[in-house]
Amino acid sequence: MSGETAAPERLGLLDRVGRTLGLGALIVGGFFPLVWMLLTSLKTEAELQKFPVQYLPGALDAANYVRVFSEQPFARFFFNSMTVSLLSTLLCIAVAVPAAYALARLQVWGRGALLTAVVAFSMFPVVSLLVPLFRLFRSVDLLNSYPALILPYAALSLPVAILTLVAFFSAIPRDLEAAAMIDGTSRLGALWRVVLPLSAPGMVTAALLVFVNSWNEFLLALSFNTKLDMRTVSVGVTLYQGEFAFPWPLIAAAVVIATIPLVALIAVFQRRFVAGLTAGGVKA
Amino acid sequence: MTQKNIAAPLPRRRRPRHGEASEGRLAFWLLLPAALLLCGVLLFPMLTTFRDSFYFNKLTEPFNGQPFVGVKNYVQMFGDPRFGTALRNTLFFAVLTVGGSFLVGIPMALAAHTPSRVRGLARVALLLPWAMPPVMTGLIFAWLFNAQYGVFNDILVRLGVIQEPLRWLSTPGLAVLAMVVTIVWKTSSFVALIVLGGLQGIPRDLTEAAEVDGATRAQSFFRIILPLLAPSLAVAFIFRSISAVQVFDIPYTFIQQAPAQGLLETLGVYIYRTSIEFLDFGYAATLSVALFAVSLAVTAVYVRFVRDGAST
Repeated sequence: MSGETAAPERLGLLDRVGRTLGLGALIVGGFFPLVWMLLTSLKTEAELQKFPVQYLPGALDAANYVRVFSEQPFARFFFNSMTVSLLSTLLCIAVAVPAAYALARLQVWGRGALLTAVVAFSMFPVVSLLVPLFRLFRSVDLLNSYPALILPYAALSLPVAILTLVAFFSAIPRDLEAAAMIDGTSRLGALWRVVLPLSAPGMVTAALLVFVNSWNEFLLALSFNTKLDMRTVSVGVTLYQGEFAFPWPLIAAAVVIATIPLVALIAVFQRRFVAGLTAGGVKA
Repeated sequence: MTQKNIAAPLPRRRRPRHGEASEGRLAFWLLLPAALLLCGVLLFPMLTTFRDSFYFNKLTEPFNGQPFVGVKNYVQMFGDPRFGTALRNTLFFAVLTVGGSFLVGIPMALAAHTPSRVRGLARVALLLPWAMPPVMTGLIFAWLFNAQYGVFNDILVRLGVIQEPLRWLSTPGLAVLAMVVTIVWKTSSFVALIVLGGLQGIPRDLTEAAEVDGATRAQSFFRIILPLLAPSLAVAFIFRSISAVQVFDIPYTFIQQAPAQGLLETLGVYIYRTSIEFLDFGYAATLSVALFAVSLAVTAVYVRFVRDGAST
C-alpha cells in the first residue's frame, strides 16, 4: 500500500513526527517529576537557593541520603512498609483466589448480586472508615501494630483483586479442568494444578495492584500507627518538614528512596502488568 | 458434570444430584474468607459510621455524653457553609480532573500503543504516575510549583511566558490550577491504562480497511476507534469519578503548604479534620455519609453497567 503517490508518504512523515512527539511527551511527562526529585536530592541547600534555578547538582554528594536515615528512622519505616505491603498482598491474594474461583467457576446462588456487592465495596470512602476502624482497633488493642494496616489494606484491595482474578479464571477453558478432573484430581486440585498456573499473569497483576495500593496508602497509616517506630514510608516522607521549613533536598531524597520499590516492580513487570490489567480490567 | 448445566438453577424440592450440593457447599467455604474480611473491615465500620451520624459524639465535650440526636447532625450539615464549600470544591475538582485525565490519558494511550523501539520505556512512563504514592505526588508537585525555587516558574520565565515568578500555592486561582495539574498528572495514567486495554482489543484490520477506503487518520479515530473504545471509556470514567470525589492525599499535602486553604479543602479533607483535629466523631460520620452518598450516585451508574455486562 505504500508509496504509490506522494500523499501517503507525506502522511507517513507526519505520522512519524506525531508519533515521536507523542512518545517524547509521554516519556518526559512521566519521568520528569521523579527525575527532578532525583536531581534535587543531590543538591546542597545553597545550590537549591540559586536563582535562576541551577538544573544539575554541582558535585555528586550523597549527604542528603545519609541524613534521611539519620534524622528519622527511615530504614525502620521502609521495613514497616515492606512488611505491611507484602503481608497484605499475601493475605489479599490468599482470600481472593478461592472467592474468585467460586464466582468464576462454581454454581453460586446469587452470583450477579455477589459480584455487584464486590464492586460496591470498592466504593467505600476510606476516610469514612477512619473513625470506626480506629475505635475497633483500639478496643482490641491493635493500634500501632502491623495487623492494624494489613487487615484494612487487604480488605480495601480485595474487590479489585477478586474482579481481576474472576476475569482471568473465566478466560481459561473449562475443558482443561474437566480433563484434569477426569484424570482423578479434585476440584481444588484442578484449581491448584491447572487454573492457577495458567492465570499467572492475572495473579501477578492482582498482586501488584494490592502491593502498590498498600505501599502508597497514607490516611490509615497516618492515623493508626502513630508511634515513630511503626510509621510507614508514605507517612515517613512527610516527617522531615518543620512547621515553617521544608528541607527540600532531604524530602526529595526520602521520596526517591520510597519510590525505588515501585519503580523496580514496574520496570520488571511492566509488560505483564499492562497485559494483565488490560485483559482483566475492561471485562470486569 | 454440573458445569454443563446451562438451565436455570434447579428447583429446591428435587433431590440434588451428587455434584450440586457439594459444589454449593464448596463455593460457600471458598467465599467465606473474602466475605468475612469485607464485612468485618469495611461493611461493619461503614454501618457504624451510619449509626454514629445520628449521635452526638465529640471527644472535646465528654461532659455532654453521647446522646442520640436524630437528624440534628444532618440539619447542622446543611446549614454549614464549610460543608457547602467543601462539597463545591470536591465536585469542581472532580469535573476538572476527570475531564483533564481523559484529555491527557487518551493521547497517552495512543502514544504507548504505537509500536516503537522505546515501547518498554513508554510503558514505564505511563505506569509511573499511576504507581506513585499520592502523598509523594503532592510533595513533588508542591516543590515543582514552589514560588522561589520551583522549576515550573523557572521554565515559564525562561520561555518568556511570565515576567515574574508566580506564587502558585498562595494565589487562590493558581493554587487551584496547580492542584488540578497535579491530580491530572497522577490520574491520567489510569485512564491511559484502561484505554490501552481497549485499544489492544481492536483488530488492526478495521483501521487498515478504513484507510484503504480513503479515511483520514482523524476520521478513522473518531468514527471507528472511539466508538469501539466506549466500554473502556465508561469503566475508566466511573472509576475515575469515584476516586475523584474521594480525593484526599493530594489536597491534604497541598494544604500544608498553601495559605489558599479554603479553596483546596475537599470533602475528604474536611471529614479528616472534623474527626482527627476537631474530634467531632458524630458530625464527621454525618459528613462521611454525605460523601458516601455522592460516591453512590456515581456508583449507581456503574452497577447498572456491570449488570448489563454480566448478563452476556
